[in-house]
Amino acid sequence: MEMIERYVYAVTKRLPEAQRQDVADELRGLIEDMLNERVQGRDITEEDVEEVLLELGNPRNLARQYRDTKKYVIGPELYDLYILVLKIALISVVTVSTAVFIIQIILNPINTLDYFINYIVSFITTTIPIVFGWTTLAFALAEYFGEDNLKKLNIDKEKLNLDKEWKPENLAPIPDPKRQIKRSEPIIGIIFYVLIIMILAFSNDYFGIWIFQDGEFSTVVPFLNEETYGSFLILILIVFGFGIVKECLKFRYEKWTYTLVIFTAIVNLISIAMIMFMITGAQFWNPNFMNELIQYGFVTEASQSYESIRLIWEQLTLWTLILLIFGLLLDIAIGWFKVRKAK
Amino acid sequence: MNDENEHIDKLMHELRRGTITIGALSQLYEPQYGYSLVTRLKEKGIQVEPGTLYPLLRRLEKQGLLESKWDTNETRPRKYYLLSDTGKDALDLLRVEWQSIVTSMQNVLKESGDENGDD
Repeated sequence: MEMIERYVYAVTKRLPEAQRQDVADELRGLIEDMLNERVQGRDITEEDVEEVLLELGNPRNLARQYRDTKKYVIGPELYDLYILVLKIALISVVTVSTAVFIIQIILNPINTLDYFINYIVSFITTTIPIVFGWTTLAFALAEYFGEDNLKKLNIDKEKLNLDKEWKPENLAPIPDPKRQIKRSEPIIGIIFYVLIIMILAFSNDYFGIWIFQDGEFSTVVPFLNEETYGSFLILILIVFGFGIVKECLKFRYEKWTYTLVIFTAIVNLISIAMIMFMITGAQFWNPNFMNELIQYGFVTEASQSYESIRLIWEQLTLWTLILLIFGLLLDIAIGWFKVRKAK
Repeated sequence: MNDENEHIDKLMHELRRGTITIGALSQLYEPQYGYSLVTRLKEKGIQVEPGTLYPLLRRLEKQGLLESKWDTNETRPRKYYLLSDTGKDALDLLRVEWQSIVTSMQNVLKESGDENGDD
Protein backbone atom coordinates (compact mmCIF):
# COMPACT_ATOMS: atom_id res chain seq x y z
CA MET A 1 0.00 0.00 0.00
CA GLU A 2 3.11 2.08 -0.02
CA MET A 3 2.36 2.89 -3.62
CA ILE A 4 -1.00 4.46 -2.79
CA GLU A 5 0.63 6.81 -0.34
CA ARG A 6 3.23 7.73 -2.90
CA TYR A 7 0.52 8.46 -5.43
CA VAL A 8 -1.48 10.59 -3.01
CA TYR A 9 1.67 12.44 -2.09
CA ALA A 10 2.57 12.97 -5.73
CA VAL A 11 -0.81 14.62 -6.29
CA THR A 12 -1.11 16.66 -3.13
CA LYS A 13 2.39 18.07 -3.12
CA ARG A 14 1.35 19.99 -6.22
CA LEU A 15 -1.65 21.57 -4.50
CA PRO A 16 -1.93 24.58 -2.22
CA GLU A 17 -1.18 23.74 1.39
CA ALA A 18 -4.73 24.44 2.55
CA GLN A 19 -6.29 21.81 0.27
CA ARG A 20 -3.75 19.07 0.75
CA GLN A 21 -5.13 17.20 3.74
CA ASP A 22 -8.67 17.20 2.46
CA VAL A 23 -7.76 16.09 -1.04
CA ALA A 24 -5.45 13.41 0.35
CA ASP A 25 -8.21 11.91 2.50
CA GLU A 26 -10.67 11.99 -0.34
CA LEU A 27 -8.20 10.49 -2.76
CA ARG A 28 -7.32 7.65 -0.40
CA GLY A 29 -11.02 6.89 -0.05
CA LEU A 30 -11.44 6.93 -3.82
CA ILE A 31 -8.56 4.55 -4.40
CA GLU A 32 -9.88 2.12 -1.81
CA ASP A 33 -13.35 2.28 -3.34
CA MET A 34 -11.93 1.59 -6.75
CA LEU A 35 -9.88 -1.30 -5.37
CA ASN A 36 -12.86 -2.83 -3.61
CA GLU A 37 -14.92 -2.70 -6.73
CA ARG A 38 -12.15 -4.33 -8.69
CA VAL A 39 -11.41 -7.26 -6.35
CA GLN A 40 -14.99 -8.00 -5.26
CA GLY A 41 -14.01 -9.44 -1.91
CA ARG A 42 -10.76 -11.25 -2.75
CA ASP A 43 -7.43 -10.01 -1.41
CA ILE A 44 -5.93 -6.93 -2.94
CA THR A 45 -2.66 -7.47 -4.78
CA GLU A 46 0.01 -5.04 -5.85
CA GLU A 47 -1.15 -5.48 -9.41
CA ASP A 48 -4.66 -4.32 -8.55
CA VAL A 49 -3.21 -1.22 -6.98
CA GLU A 50 -1.11 -0.56 -10.03
CA GLU A 51 -4.04 -0.89 -12.38
CA VAL A 52 -6.21 1.42 -10.32
CA LEU A 53 -3.49 4.03 -10.19
CA LEU A 54 -3.01 3.69 -13.93
CA GLU A 55 -6.69 4.30 -14.36
CA LEU A 56 -6.44 7.48 -12.33
CA GLY A 57 -3.57 8.55 -14.54
CA ASN A 58 -0.52 10.68 -14.14
CA PRO A 59 -0.62 12.41 -10.73
CA ARG A 60 0.53 15.59 -12.37
CA ASN A 61 -2.57 15.71 -14.56
CA LEU A 62 -4.83 14.94 -11.66
CA ALA A 63 -3.24 17.69 -9.62
CA ARG A 64 -3.74 20.07 -12.50
CA GLN A 65 -7.44 19.24 -12.58
CA TYR A 66 -7.65 20.01 -8.90
CA ARG A 67 -5.78 23.25 -9.27
CA ASP A 68 -8.03 24.31 -12.10
CA THR A 69 -5.47 26.71 -13.40
CA LYS A 70 -4.99 27.47 -17.03
CA LYS A 71 -2.96 25.03 -19.01
CA TYR A 72 -1.14 27.59 -21.04
CA VAL A 73 1.81 29.85 -20.64
CA ILE A 74 0.39 32.61 -22.79
CA GLY A 75 -3.35 32.82 -22.92
CA PRO A 76 -5.71 33.82 -25.71
CA GLU A 77 -5.89 37.43 -24.46
CA LEU A 78 -2.18 37.95 -24.99
CA TYR A 79 -1.55 35.54 -27.83
CA ASP A 80 -2.08 37.91 -30.75
CA LEU A 81 0.12 40.56 -29.24
CA TYR A 82 2.73 37.93 -28.43
CA ILE A 83 2.90 36.74 -32.03
CA LEU A 84 3.08 40.30 -33.26
CA VAL A 85 5.92 41.28 -30.95
CA LEU A 86 7.72 38.08 -31.80
CA LYS A 87 7.46 38.82 -35.52
CA ILE A 88 8.74 42.35 -35.09
CA ALA A 89 11.60 41.20 -32.90
CA LEU A 90 12.58 38.43 -35.30
CA ILE A 91 12.47 40.68 -38.34
CA SER A 92 14.61 43.29 -36.56
CA VAL A 93 17.14 40.76 -35.41
CA VAL A 94 17.39 39.07 -38.78
CA THR A 95 17.89 42.43 -40.46
CA VAL A 96 20.59 43.48 -38.02
CA SER A 97 22.45 40.17 -38.22
CA THR A 98 22.29 40.25 -41.99
CA ALA A 99 23.59 43.81 -42.02
CA VAL A 100 26.47 42.84 -39.76
CA PHE A 101 27.16 39.84 -41.96
CA ILE A 102 27.26 41.99 -45.09
CA ILE A 103 29.57 44.49 -43.41
CA GLN A 104 31.84 41.67 -42.41
CA ILE A 105 32.04 40.35 -45.97
CA ILE A 106 32.77 43.78 -47.35
CA LEU A 107 35.53 44.30 -44.81
CA ASN A 108 37.05 40.90 -45.19
CA PRO A 109 35.91 39.03 -48.27
CA ILE A 110 38.43 36.24 -47.83
CA ASN A 111 36.61 34.94 -44.77
CA THR A 112 33.17 34.93 -46.36
CA LEU A 113 32.62 31.25 -45.77
CA ASP A 114 33.57 31.52 -42.11
CA TYR A 115 31.28 34.47 -41.65
CA PHE A 116 28.49 32.69 -43.43
CA ILE A 117 28.78 29.61 -41.24
CA ASN A 118 29.02 31.82 -38.21
CA TYR A 119 25.95 33.74 -39.38
CA ILE A 120 23.86 30.60 -39.77
CA VAL A 121 25.11 28.90 -36.61
CA SER A 122 24.59 31.96 -34.44
CA PHE A 123 21.04 32.19 -35.74
CA ILE A 124 20.20 28.72 -34.62
CA THR A 125 22.16 28.60 -31.40
CA THR A 126 21.93 32.15 -30.12
CA THR A 127 19.88 34.73 -31.91
CA ILE A 128 16.59 32.95 -32.37
CA PRO A 129 16.60 31.22 -28.97
CA ILE A 130 17.32 34.56 -27.30
CA VAL A 131 14.54 36.39 -29.10
CA PHE A 132 12.06 33.58 -28.54
CA GLY A 133 13.19 33.08 -24.99
CA TRP A 134 12.98 36.65 -23.81
CA THR A 135 9.79 37.49 -25.63
CA THR A 136 8.12 34.38 -24.34
CA LEU A 137 9.42 34.91 -20.84
CA ALA A 138 8.16 38.47 -20.77
CA PHE A 139 4.72 37.42 -21.96
CA ALA A 140 4.59 34.43 -19.65
CA LEU A 141 5.31 36.74 -16.72
CA ALA A 142 2.66 39.15 -17.93
CA GLU A 143 0.25 36.25 -18.18
CA TYR A 144 1.14 34.95 -14.74
CA PHE A 145 1.12 38.21 -12.83
CA GLY A 146 -1.48 39.91 -14.96
CA GLU A 147 -3.87 37.02 -14.47
CA ASP A 148 -6.16 38.70 -12.01
CA ASN A 149 -6.20 42.00 -13.82
CA LEU A 150 -6.97 40.38 -17.10
CA LYS A 151 -9.68 38.30 -15.55
CA LYS A 152 -11.18 41.41 -14.07
CA LEU A 153 -10.89 43.08 -17.43
CA ASN A 154 -12.65 40.18 -19.05
CA ILE A 155 -15.39 40.16 -16.49
CA ASP A 156 -15.81 43.86 -17.07
CA LYS A 157 -15.97 43.22 -20.78
CA GLU A 158 -18.54 40.53 -20.29
CA LYS A 159 -20.51 42.82 -18.07
CA LEU A 160 -20.34 45.46 -20.74
CA ASN A 161 -21.49 42.98 -23.33
CA LEU A 162 -24.32 41.71 -21.23
CA ASP A 163 -25.16 45.09 -19.90
CA LYS A 164 -28.75 46.02 -20.55
CA GLU A 165 -27.66 49.63 -20.62
CA TRP A 166 -25.79 48.96 -23.81
CA LYS A 167 -27.27 50.53 -26.91
CA PRO A 168 -26.27 50.19 -30.55
CA GLU A 169 -25.43 53.88 -30.60
CA ASN A 170 -22.53 53.10 -28.27
CA LEU A 171 -20.78 51.41 -31.15
CA ALA A 172 -17.55 53.13 -32.05
CA PRO A 173 -17.55 54.65 -35.53
CA ILE A 174 -15.57 53.00 -38.27
CA PRO A 175 -12.28 54.90 -38.39
CA ASP A 176 -12.13 57.56 -41.07
CA PRO A 177 -9.63 56.43 -43.70
CA LYS A 178 -8.09 59.87 -43.63
CA ARG A 179 -7.18 59.49 -39.98
CA GLN A 180 -6.30 55.88 -40.19
CA ILE A 181 -2.79 54.70 -39.49
CA LYS A 182 -1.83 51.74 -41.62
CA ARG A 183 -0.78 48.80 -39.50
CA SER A 184 2.48 48.57 -41.38
CA GLU A 185 3.46 52.12 -40.40
CA PRO A 186 4.04 51.62 -36.68
CA ILE A 187 5.53 48.17 -37.31
CA ILE A 188 8.11 49.64 -39.65
CA GLY A 189 8.66 52.39 -37.08
CA ILE A 190 9.30 49.92 -34.30
CA ILE A 191 11.65 47.85 -36.46
CA PHE A 192 13.49 51.04 -37.35
CA TYR A 193 13.91 52.02 -33.70
CA VAL A 194 15.03 48.54 -32.70
CA LEU A 195 17.52 48.50 -35.56
CA ILE A 196 19.03 51.84 -34.59
CA ILE A 197 19.22 50.84 -30.95
CA MET A 198 20.97 47.61 -31.84
CA ILE A 199 23.34 49.29 -34.25
CA LEU A 200 24.24 51.94 -31.70
CA ALA A 201 24.44 49.52 -28.82
CA PHE A 202 26.42 46.73 -30.38
CA SER A 203 28.08 48.04 -33.48
CA ASN A 204 29.65 51.30 -32.44
CA ASP A 205 32.89 49.72 -33.57
CA TYR A 206 31.62 49.99 -37.13
CA PHE A 207 29.86 53.34 -36.85
CA GLY A 208 32.36 55.63 -38.48
CA ILE A 209 34.65 56.04 -41.45
CA TRP A 210 36.19 52.77 -42.56
CA ILE A 211 39.86 52.93 -43.28
CA PHE A 212 41.25 50.53 -45.86
CA GLN A 213 44.97 50.12 -46.20
CA ASP A 214 46.41 48.23 -49.18
CA GLY A 215 42.95 47.08 -50.11
CA GLU A 216 42.35 45.56 -46.70
CA PHE A 217 40.23 46.85 -43.91
CA SER A 218 42.36 48.09 -41.07
CA THR A 219 40.32 50.22 -38.69
CA VAL A 220 37.37 52.52 -38.11
CA VAL A 221 37.54 56.16 -37.19
CA PRO A 222 34.42 56.39 -35.03
CA PHE A 223 31.99 59.28 -35.33
CA LEU A 224 31.16 59.19 -31.66
CA ASN A 225 33.29 59.81 -28.61
CA GLU A 226 34.14 56.37 -27.32
CA GLU A 227 34.88 57.52 -23.78
CA THR A 228 31.58 59.20 -23.08
CA TYR A 229 29.62 56.98 -25.39
CA GLY A 230 28.50 54.62 -22.63
CA SER A 231 26.65 57.27 -20.67
CA PHE A 232 25.06 58.72 -23.79
CA LEU A 233 23.86 55.29 -24.76
CA ILE A 234 21.45 55.29 -21.80
CA LEU A 235 19.97 58.59 -22.97
CA ILE A 236 19.71 57.27 -26.50
CA LEU A 237 17.95 54.17 -25.26
CA ILE A 238 15.46 56.29 -23.33
CA VAL A 239 14.74 58.47 -26.37
CA PHE A 240 14.20 55.50 -28.65
CA GLY A 241 12.31 53.66 -25.95
CA PHE A 242 9.82 56.53 -25.93
CA GLY A 243 9.74 56.27 -29.69
CA ILE A 244 8.78 52.60 -29.48
CA VAL A 245 6.05 53.36 -26.96
CA LYS A 246 4.71 55.99 -29.35
CA GLU A 247 4.66 53.54 -32.24
CA CYS A 248 2.91 50.98 -30.06
CA LEU A 249 0.22 53.54 -29.28
CA LYS A 250 -0.22 54.27 -32.96
CA PHE A 251 -0.63 50.58 -33.47
CA ARG A 252 -3.11 50.35 -30.66
CA TYR A 253 -5.34 53.24 -31.70
CA GLU A 254 -5.07 52.58 -35.43
CA LYS A 255 -6.01 56.16 -36.13
CA TRP A 256 -4.88 59.63 -35.27
CA THR A 257 -6.72 61.08 -32.31
CA TYR A 258 -6.11 64.23 -30.35
CA THR A 259 -4.81 62.16 -27.46
CA LEU A 260 -2.36 60.44 -29.73
CA VAL A 261 -1.22 63.72 -31.27
CA ILE A 262 -0.71 65.21 -27.84
CA PHE A 263 1.21 62.17 -26.67
CA THR A 264 3.31 62.18 -29.84
CA ALA A 265 3.99 65.85 -29.32
CA ILE A 266 5.12 65.31 -25.73
CA VAL A 267 7.33 62.35 -26.60
CA ASN A 268 8.85 64.08 -29.59
CA LEU A 269 9.51 67.30 -27.72
CA ILE A 270 11.22 65.39 -24.93
CA SER A 271 13.24 63.54 -27.55
CA ILE A 272 14.19 66.81 -29.22
CA ALA A 273 15.31 68.25 -25.90
CA MET A 274 17.41 65.20 -25.13
CA ILE A 275 18.93 65.09 -28.60
CA MET A 276 19.83 68.77 -28.37
CA PHE A 277 21.40 68.21 -25.02
CA MET A 278 23.44 65.31 -26.35
CA ILE A 279 24.49 66.57 -29.73
CA THR A 280 25.32 70.12 -28.81
CA GLY A 281 27.50 68.95 -25.94
CA ALA A 282 31.01 68.71 -27.37
CA GLN A 283 31.58 65.35 -25.75
CA PHE A 284 29.15 63.46 -27.89
CA TRP A 285 31.23 63.40 -31.06
CA ASN A 286 34.67 61.95 -31.41
CA PRO A 287 36.88 64.96 -30.55
CA ASN A 288 39.88 63.52 -32.40
CA PHE A 289 37.95 62.67 -35.54
CA MET A 290 39.96 64.86 -37.88
CA ASN A 291 43.27 64.01 -36.28
CA GLU A 292 42.62 60.32 -36.56
CA LEU A 293 41.70 60.64 -40.21
CA ILE A 294 45.07 62.25 -40.83
CA GLN A 295 46.81 59.70 -38.70
CA TYR A 296 45.47 56.85 -40.81
CA GLY A 297 46.33 58.62 -44.00
CA PHE A 298 42.75 59.09 -45.08
CA VAL A 299 43.45 62.74 -45.85
CA THR A 300 46.52 64.90 -45.68
CA GLU A 301 46.50 67.96 -43.54
CA ALA A 302 45.73 71.28 -45.19
CA SER A 303 44.76 69.67 -48.49
CA GLN A 304 41.56 70.66 -50.18
CA SER A 305 39.75 67.45 -49.26
CA TYR A 306 40.84 67.94 -45.66
CA GLU A 307 39.15 71.31 -45.66
CA SER A 308 35.95 70.01 -47.13
CA ILE A 309 35.82 67.04 -44.76
CA ARG A 310 36.46 69.36 -41.85
CA LEU A 311 33.66 71.56 -43.02
CA ILE A 312 31.30 68.60 -43.40
CA TRP A 313 32.30 67.30 -40.01
CA GLU A 314 31.64 70.61 -38.35
CA GLN A 315 28.33 71.02 -40.10
CA LEU A 316 27.36 67.48 -39.17
CA THR A 317 26.38 68.48 -35.67
CA LEU A 318 24.10 71.16 -36.92
CA TRP A 319 22.53 69.11 -39.67
CA THR A 320 21.91 66.01 -37.61
CA LEU A 321 20.14 68.20 -35.16
CA ILE A 322 18.10 69.94 -37.82
CA LEU A 323 17.16 66.69 -39.54
CA LEU A 324 16.11 64.95 -36.35
CA ILE A 325 14.09 67.90 -35.14
CA PHE A 326 12.51 68.29 -38.55
CA GLY A 327 11.53 64.60 -38.58
CA LEU A 328 10.03 64.71 -35.12
CA LEU A 329 8.14 67.92 -35.82
CA LEU A 330 6.88 66.49 -39.08
CA ASP A 331 5.55 63.50 -37.18
CA ILE A 332 3.51 65.80 -34.94
CA ALA A 333 2.39 67.91 -37.88
CA ILE A 334 1.16 64.91 -39.89
CA GLY A 335 -0.83 63.65 -36.94
CA TRP A 336 -2.32 67.05 -36.27
CA PHE A 337 -3.14 67.57 -39.92
CA LYS A 338 -4.83 64.17 -40.25
CA VAL A 339 -6.98 64.70 -37.19
CA ARG A 340 -8.03 68.12 -38.44
CA LYS A 341 -8.73 67.01 -41.97
CA ALA A 342 -11.05 64.26 -40.84
CA LYS A 343 -13.22 66.56 -38.73
CA MET B 1 -10.05 8.74 -41.42
CA ASN B 2 -7.72 8.82 -38.49
CA ASP B 3 -7.89 12.58 -38.51
CA GLU B 4 -11.62 12.47 -38.55
CA ASN B 5 -11.70 10.24 -35.49
CA GLU B 6 -9.41 12.59 -33.71
CA HIS B 7 -11.70 15.51 -34.42
CA ILE B 8 -14.72 13.57 -33.29
CA ASP B 9 -12.93 12.61 -30.09
CA LYS B 10 -12.17 16.22 -29.41
CA LEU B 11 -15.70 17.36 -30.13
CA MET B 12 -17.15 14.62 -27.96
CA HIS B 13 -14.79 15.55 -25.18
CA GLU B 14 -15.98 19.16 -25.30
CA LEU B 15 -19.59 18.12 -25.51
CA ARG B 16 -19.31 15.84 -22.48
CA ARG B 17 -17.42 18.31 -20.40
CA GLY B 18 -20.33 20.71 -20.48
CA THR B 19 -22.92 18.10 -19.67
CA ILE B 20 -21.12 16.38 -16.81
CA THR B 21 -21.63 19.35 -14.52
CA ILE B 22 -25.40 19.27 -14.98
CA GLY B 23 -25.39 15.49 -14.73
CA ALA B 24 -23.50 15.55 -11.46
CA LEU B 25 -25.65 18.29 -9.96
CA SER B 26 -28.82 16.43 -10.88
CA GLN B 27 -27.79 13.43 -8.75
CA LEU B 28 -27.01 15.37 -5.61
CA TYR B 29 -30.41 16.00 -4.03
CA GLU B 30 -29.30 13.11 -1.83
CA PRO B 31 -25.80 13.25 -0.36
CA GLN B 32 -23.30 11.21 -2.36
CA TYR B 33 -19.60 10.66 -2.04
CA GLY B 34 -17.43 10.88 -5.09
CA TYR B 35 -17.19 7.27 -6.08
CA SER B 36 -20.83 6.47 -5.46
CA LEU B 37 -21.62 9.33 -7.82
CA VAL B 38 -19.28 7.88 -10.44
CA THR B 39 -21.06 4.51 -10.30
CA ARG B 40 -24.45 6.10 -10.19
CA LEU B 41 -23.78 8.20 -13.29
CA LYS B 42 -22.30 5.16 -15.01
CA GLU B 43 -25.47 3.18 -14.35
CA LYS B 44 -27.39 5.93 -16.05
CA GLY B 45 -25.10 5.83 -19.04
CA ILE B 46 -22.89 8.81 -18.22
CA GLN B 47 -19.23 7.86 -18.27
CA VAL B 48 -17.05 10.06 -16.15
CA GLU B 49 -13.52 9.55 -14.88
CA PRO B 50 -13.05 9.96 -11.15
CA GLY B 51 -10.06 12.13 -11.99
CA THR B 52 -12.48 14.54 -13.66
CA LEU B 53 -15.38 14.27 -11.28
CA TYR B 54 -13.55 14.68 -7.98
CA PRO B 55 -11.96 18.01 -8.88
CA LEU B 56 -15.26 19.09 -10.43
CA LEU B 57 -17.16 18.44 -7.19
CA ARG B 58 -14.61 20.47 -5.34
CA ARG B 59 -14.99 23.35 -7.75
CA LEU B 60 -18.75 23.27 -7.53
CA GLU B 61 -18.45 23.36 -3.77
CA LYS B 62 -16.17 26.35 -4.00
CA GLN B 63 -18.70 28.07 -6.24
CA GLY B 64 -21.33 27.47 -3.59
CA LEU B 65 -23.51 25.09 -5.62
CA LEU B 66 -22.67 22.14 -3.39
CA GLU B 67 -22.15 21.59 0.29
CA SER B 68 -19.95 18.91 1.71
CA LYS B 69 -19.57 16.99 4.90
CA TRP B 70 -17.14 14.36 6.08
CA ASP B 71 -18.77 11.20 7.37
CA THR B 72 -16.42 9.46 9.77
CA ASN B 73 -18.84 6.83 11.11
CA GLU B 74 -18.18 4.26 8.41
CA THR B 75 -15.10 2.03 8.11
CA ARG B 76 -13.37 4.73 6.14
CA PRO B 77 -14.08 8.47 6.20
CA ARG B 78 -15.89 9.78 3.15
CA LYS B 79 -16.67 13.21 1.91
CA TYR B 80 -20.34 13.58 1.00
CA TYR B 81 -21.58 16.23 -1.37
CA LEU B 82 -25.09 17.67 -1.45
CA LEU B 83 -26.83 20.41 -3.40
CA SER B 84 -26.93 23.71 -1.57
CA ASP B 85 -29.96 25.98 -1.83
CA THR B 86 -28.16 28.01 -4.49
CA GLY B 87 -27.32 24.77 -6.23
CA LYS B 88 -30.96 23.71 -6.29
CA ASP B 89 -32.03 27.03 -7.77
CA ALA B 90 -29.26 26.87 -10.32
CA LEU B 91 -30.19 23.32 -11.27
CA ASP B 92 -33.83 24.32 -11.82
CA LEU B 93 -32.69 27.01 -14.21
CA LEU B 94 -30.22 24.71 -15.90
CA ARG B 95 -32.92 22.12 -16.42
CA VAL B 96 -35.08 24.61 -18.32
CA GLU B 97 -32.10 25.78 -20.37
CA TRP B 98 -31.15 22.23 -21.13
CA GLN B 99 -34.65 21.38 -22.31
CA SER B 100 -34.65 24.28 -24.70
CA ILE B 101 -31.23 23.29 -26.04
CA VAL B 102 -32.46 19.73 -26.60
CA THR B 103 -35.59 20.93 -28.38
CA SER B 104 -33.80 23.33 -30.68
CA MET B 105 -31.00 20.91 -31.41
CA GLN B 106 -33.49 18.24 -32.30
CA ASN B 107 -35.23 20.60 -34.67
CA VAL B 108 -32.00 21.65 -36.26
CA LEU B 109 -30.75 18.12 -36.69
CA LYS B 110 -34.05 16.84 -38.01
CA GLU B 111 -34.26 19.60 -40.58
CA SER B 112 -30.80 19.07 -41.92
CA GLY B 113 -31.37 15.31 -41.96
CA ASP B 114 -34.60 15.63 -43.99
CA GLU B 115 -33.38 18.13 -46.51
CA ASN B 116 -29.91 16.75 -46.64
CA GLY B 117 -28.42 20.19 -46.26
CA ASP B 118 -30.32 21.76 -49.19
CA ASP B 119 -31.18 25.08 -47.73
